[in-house]
Amino acid sequence: MKLQHNLGGLEGLDPVNTEPRVFVEDWEQRIFGIHTAMMALSNHLDKSLPDYDISQVPSTFDSFWSWAHLREGAENIHPFDYFRLRYYEKWLGGISGFFVEEGYITEDELNERAALILKDMADNKSTELPEGGDPAIDTQVEKYLREGDSPKRSTDITPKFNVGDTVRIKTISAGTHSRLPGNLQGRIAQVMEVYEESYTYFYETADGLGTPMPVYNLAFKAEDLWEQSLIEPGSIYYNDIFEAYIEPA
Amino acid sequence: MTSLYPGFRYDADKEAISEARAKALESLLIEKGVITGKTVDQVLSYFDTEMGPFNGAKLVARAWVDPEFKKLLLEDCNAACEMLDLPNGMSGAEGEHMRIVENTADVHNVVVCTLCSCYPWPTLGLPPYWFKDPTFRARVVREPRVVLGEFGVQLSDSVNIRIWDSSAQIRWWVLPMRPEGTESLSEEELAKLLTPEAMMGVALVKAKSE
Repeated sequence: MKLQHNLGGLEGLDPVNTEPRVFVEDWEQRIFGIHTAMMALSNHLDKSLPDYDISQVPSTFDSFWSWAHLREGAENIHPFDYFRLRYYEKWLGGISGFFVEEGYITEDELNERAALILKDMADNKSTELPEGGDPAIDTQVEKYLREGDSPKRSTDITPKFNVGDTVRIKTISAGTHSRLPGNLQGRIAQVMEVYEESYTYFYETADGLGTPMPVYNLAFKAEDLWEQSLIEPGSIYYNDIFEAYIEPA
Repeated sequence: MTSLYPGFRYDADKEAISEARAKALESLLIEKGVITGKTVDQVLSYFDTEMGPFNGAKLVARAWVDPEFKKLLLEDCNAACEMLDLPNGMSGAEGEHMRIVENTADVHNVVVCTLCSCYPWPTLGLPPYWFKDPTFRARVVREPRVVLGEFGVQLSDSVNIRIWDSSAQIRWWVLPMRPEGTESLSEEELAKLLTPEAMMGVALVKAKSE
């Protein structure tokens, strides 16, 4: 696994930055909006629970885009870059790269347009964004925001574990994208809740997610996670863990 | 703000380059019919006006004055959202499956997403910078009391801390304790005391909003 899969409990870091703003630079809002539109226009929404008629939406976007795609972009980069780049800088790089890879734009096009905008900025001129586009695209974006994309699915799967069971987190490779915090691997926990029905992750990961499966709320005692001198006495760490990551203790 | 972590050296024009690249991308996507000239503004407006911490504040304030509602909020957060006059979409994007946990005199809860930034958008809006910063995510799971101290929260030693990480599909948030000295306040006045930080467990609610 990479360091970004294994952040929990790192020692010797600086004090936290308590900055309360969501966006610390104006441009960060724009890449957030683009990502959210991609989520709303993704071609996998034809299989979602809300009645999205996604193939009829007049956007040229015809790709699969989910949180997994965005997260994989950030998890895939070199750990030094992961920590050097601010949160939305990673988004900007990952999303731009996706549009180039999928053939919507070329790298040259993006670089040339950015150079023109930079020149305008240097000349104190504001580059206007293009106008227009089919309003039905924005109708779908709003519908997605209001109706979402629930991952809950009815299946006939019987959960392998029950409330009260002591379980162990598997030791596995994170691959390019994982939903298992690395520091939990091999650790013991207690099942607090077996969530009703199953949950999909939409996207298949190398470490076993994708198809609907049970999810558990697990409780980890501090002393089962950290060396005694490092723990907060009496604290409990809870996390929701997909069944693919759990084995009997 | 040019750098939130001083340990790395950055190009002086780093933000200008990112601004230009974000604008270049948005321009090209509009021209190619992926999105419209209004899409991004529409998304941002949705979180400015409809889905933000003002929704969570109304839910918490109601829970403080109505024990039956508090019970429902703790048992089924999404159902409780339907009981108040909140915008259409409380179970929409990133709010499909929400849970709230209650702070008491003995237990203090704090929410984190160590792998990314999972956050209940309909009740709290979009995640603040601190929630996304890797240092917070790395440290709060092991040394929550020290991290809370850096946010200005001093808890009695008798208070046990529970940390809620979000690695699957539930979005967690916190029902803070109602501060003393607020008995005469209306529900609307109580809602004004709440902050996103209090509803994620890194602040305590103060009797007077600042």
